Amino acid sequence: MARVVVDPVTRIEGHLRIEAEVDAGVVRDAWSSSTMFRGIELILKGRDPRDAWAFTQRICGVCTTVHAVASIRAVENAIGAAPPPNARLLRNLIIGAQAVQDHVIHFYHLHALDWVDIVSALAADPAKTSSLAQSISDWPLSSPTYFAGIRDRVKGFVDRGQLGPFANAYWGHPAYRLPPEANLMAVAHYLEALDWQREVIKMHAVLGGKNPHLQSFLVGGMATPVDPDSQAALNAGTIAELQRLVAKARDFVTRVYIPDLVAVASFYKDWAGHGRGVGNYLAYGEYPNDDSAAPALFLPRGVIRGRDLAAVEPFDPAKVTEYVAHSWYQYQQGDGAALHPYQGETSPAYTGPTPPYDLLGLDSDTDKKYSWLKSPRYDGLPMEVGPLARMLVAYASGHARVKALVGAVLTRLGVGPEALFSTLGRVAARGIETQVLAEKMADWVDGLAANMAAGDLRIHDNSKWDPASWPAEAMGAGFHEAPRGALGHWVSIRNGAIDNYQCVVPSTWNAGPRDAKGQRGPYEEALIGTPVADLGRPVEILRTVHSFDPCMACGVHVVDGRRREVAHVRVR
Amino acid sequence: MSALVRVYVWEVPVRVTHWLIVLSIAVLSVTGFYIGYPFVTVSGPAGRHFVMGWTKVIHMWAAWVFLGAVFVRIIWMFTGNKYAHWDKFIPVHRSRLRGCWPTIKFYLFALRKPPGFVGHNPVAGATYVLVFGLYFVAIATGLVLRGASAEVESPLRWFASWAPLFGGLQIARWIHHALLWLLVGFAVHHVYSSVLMSTIEANGTIESIFSGYKFVPPEDLQYSGYRFIDRKGQVDE
Amino acid sequence: MRAPRRWLTSEFERRGISRREFMGFCTTMAAALALPSAAAAQIARAVGRAEKPILIWLEFQDCAGNTESFLRASRPTAAEVVLDVLSLDYHETVMAAAGEQSRANRDRTVAERPGGYIAVVEGSIPTGANGAYCTIGGESAIDIARKVCGNAAATIALGTCATFGGLPAAAPNPTGALGVADAVPGVGNLINLSACPANVENLTALIVHYLTFKRWPPLDHYRRPLFAYGKSIHDNCERRAHYDAGQYVEAWGDAGHRAGYCLYKMGCKGPVTFQNCPNVRWNGGTNWPIGCGHPCIGCAEPDFWDRMTPFYQHLMGVPGFGAGSNIDTIGGLAVLGVGAAFAGHGVIQIMKRAADKAEPVVPNGPAKGDA
Repeated sequence: MARVVVDPVTRIEGHLRIEAEVDAGVVRDAWSSSTMFRGIELILKGRDPRDAWAFTQRICGVCTTVHAVASIRAVENAIGAAPPPNARLLRNLIIGAQAVQDHVIHFYHLHALDWVDIVSALAADPAKTSSLAQSISDWPLSSPTYFAGIRDRVKGFVDRGQLGPFANAYWGHPAYRLPPEANLMAVAHYLEALDWQREVIKMHAVLGGKNPHLQSFLVGGMATPVDPDSQAALNAGTIAELQRLVAKARDFVTRVYIPDLVAVASFYKDWAGHGRGVGNYLAYGEYPNDDSAAPALFLPRGVIRGRDLAAVEPFDPAKVTEYVAHSWYQYQQGDGAALHPYQGETSPAYTGPTPPYDLLGLDSDTDKKYSWLKSPRYDGLPMEVGPLARMLVAYASGHARVKALVGAVLTRLGVGPEALFSTLGRVAARGIETQVLAEKMADWVDGLAANMAAGDLRIHDNSKWDPASWPAEAMGAGFHEAPRGALGHWVSIRNGAIDNYQCVVPSTWNAGPRDAKGQRGPYEEALIGTPVADLGRPVEILRTVHSFDPCMACGVHVVDGRRREVAHVRVR
Repeated sequence: MSALVRVYVWEVPVRVTHWLIVLSIAVLSVTGFYIGYPFVTVSGPAGRHFVMGWTKVIHMWAAWVFLGAVFVRIIWMFTGNKYAHWDKFIPVHRSRLRGCWPTIKFYLFALRKPPGFVGHNPVAGATYVLVFGLYFVAIATGLVLRGASAEVESPLRWFASWAPLFGGLQIARWIHHALLWLLVGFAVHHVYSSVLMSTIEANGTIESIFSGYKFVPPEDLQYSGYRFIDRKGQVDE
Repeated sequence: MRAPRRWLTSEFERRGISRREFMGFCTTMAAALALPSAAAAQIARAVGRAEKPILIWLEFQDCAGNTESFLRASRPTAAEVVLDVLSLDYHETVMAAAGEQSRANRDRTVAERPGGYIAVVEGSIPTGANGAYCTIGGESAIDIARKVCGNAAATIALGTCATFGGLPAAAPNPTGALGVADAVPGVGNLINLSACPANVENLTALIVHYLTFKRWPPLDHYRRPLFAYGKSIHDNCERRAHYDAGQYVEAWGDAGHRAGYCLYKMGCKGPVTFQNCPNVRWNGGTNWPIGCGHPCIGCAEPDFWDRMTPFYQHLMGVPGFGAGSNIDTIGGLAVLGVGAAFAGHGVIQIMKRAADKAEPVVPNGPAKGDA
């Protein structure tokens, strides 16, 4: 038995620590610990609900739109604001662009280096790399000269002696299985994707002023004016620019990302047997197709239990609860309790070792607290959220395009649907979703153009802007599918100010610790059974953890109890 | 009652600075209110209008006039006659300290007549200390805001570094704006009090700020607050 | 073993980047730094000669927004920065190594090259709970910051959290979060690049400034470079003509909003915010917040979460009357109240005098002293 610690887990957003118990080269138990806490919901108390989106947006700069969207939806739900169709389309475009760009960054820049050995790429033959690339895609950047240039660039970089961010990684580890040519192709696309992400996210700059932290969100609509006859508003020129960027996004996803994903996956098919996880999946659904209070969603909402794709349950918000049995918080009624976000309460109470420390001191039936994340549960069960959950719910609900793509990918890899419940399944689902969204975005641009043509220039519901138009007390929930999964914000408003604000976040669902019943969270469960060939270089642990696309800053938050004294959690 | 004596109370610099302050505060208040809440808006090409622009230009020049007048008045507190002197504002002398309570009693209707002070009565003088305090804060926050938009090499830019003293520019702005209402409130009080005094004492308070002369009982010149203060011969220095 | 140092220009040639493109980059940097165009040649020489400066990028109570901003760099691009301009020895979100190996990279540079690297800090530093609010590898953020920044040639606090405490430090500051200047007092050569997130063009401009002139640029009183924070948003705003004319957006989506009128009345904090957003803009010059119709929220200023809010009001409310209260309404009512009080005083005075005339009394009233 050996204890493996990965802290910091790099190539993620935020601060994550994994401790794993490894026996005979296999993970027997694992603990997921988030090591950073800010307390943003506490900071929100008493403020103008119309400002809340900007605060919550800063929960995360990677998924920089998601908490803004969930926040304005929650406040709109509370005060009864009804954003007009243009606002819905602008939001769909922003959310879609976020998901597509974020997934590609995740694949190439955060996850790829777990599968791709850059050092091995130096040994690649550019001509063979070229034929490999041309065999999987008609992407034009695939000549032997091009790959020779990339190889020389990497070689020049290595020769210069300053390896910078690529120093001291797990290069040469036996778990790396790609031939040098595939590694070189992946390195080329790593660099291309770096340029591509910068370009396609200009969609956010067009629609939101800047990225990260776009600034066009408003409770009740959007701040981006729409007017085909104005140069200070979205006009035909903007539509053309959006069409260009959407095409650029779709082109790269279809011709580079998906072929790369399938090519890399075909070398790592055994990872369809690792990282199975908890087997319960939750998706709130996303991309409203209409402007009603309960709109039809392009990607459906639902719950799957026990990997049973035959039955998708409807989602019931009342069944969401959070535990703090293993989290550095206290509940007044005892830490064994499970509280719905509306009754939620939090007072941070750190009980871990005083830094600096080496180990958290955990064992398999530990009753210690070990994370700044809570443990959200749905109907008492841990739930996995994210692209895999969304694609499974869509697949099981009969979403035509998702079914077709899932089928195609499974056929290409020669595996059955059970392969989806795995580390590799998460990676594949993320790619499939990116493809579906990259195709869909053009529709929203067209919808915007059609509205402009019809003279509908509304972007905002002005009737609910003035707090005087709100009820004295109001409560609302906003649901959103962030790139990393199901995100919910709950707000209560009293006399025009925030009385209580709560977020239940994808990375809390996925990365949370054990609950009061000892049920592991999805990361922890997925790590069980993962092989670890070299205890000093646990790249396999990174593969499974990265397959969830951790975003720790999102996960840690204060669910602030409405009756709790602020002073109680003031630690300073 | 003996005949009233004509006394030269307010010298020229006092009167001139007074009226410059009145005028500049009036202009600053109107323009300042507009700057905070631009209630007049225009349509058509932006190049044809300069409503906010002129408002700010006027506000800036009026601010320099105000700053100059306050500055001169402060100099005059040390160089002018005894009615203009700084100790008529800060009640350091016993006679003025003792005159405070009867004056307040007069305002509260407990006395029919106020104690007889030729220039500012002690309560009014102390009030002006507060008012000058407001002036200083208004000037300082105004300079901070002006300095913030000055070019980097301009000497005015130095004032921008005061911003942290006020909690940053936005709070400086809030303070500056709040002073608008405090000074307007003071103006209401000031006009009322001078009318009141002028009427009760019939000594030409209102006229004096134009002419410089007041008409006072000779006893007031002999010793201040004679009506309620025991000690004779205590001249208000 | 360290390979022999190469000239960057020959590096560029090998990569197929022409001298012309390289000079283009240098001219862009010269423009970003507000330098005369002749400076481009000087920059080219400086960047071409430099051993890649070592950068250690620390993330504490952050959202990785500044990291994402860095990935959007366009002049030079993030790929160019990482491969050619800098040696990014430690950056959790980007680096290949993880866990123990990643920390070893950081600690080796600190130990072997004291004073020979630049530290970048992203995120605030919590001081509560003995540092347990943010630990990396079991070590508290404050300990890491002291160690890394204390040995750095210079420290760049990137983003408003690292400069001024930012969002975690907003009231009631639950974790005792501080910016670098307050958390690690006395750290040498500290440069603040505030904004939420900081604009990457200013980070690259700052580094090129250092490489070119061998010194750090002049700073304002918040230790921010004047080339990026020397003028207010308002003074460079493309909508300034509408402000001066008296043309304002009154409601979202109204004719003025569609026509690009000034957002002053919607709460724009451009007049009290210092940054070069209107000049440099964002995402390779694509747009900026006011350009897309939303007011500036003042994100480059200290404590903007507390001082610039409510974001959609010109000025904050009056303490005691609620955050959404209007200072003009309350001020106006207060003046009316003062007027009413004096009017009442006057009426009583007149009635008293009328009574006095009806029944003459000793004019001096109930004298305590002599008369």
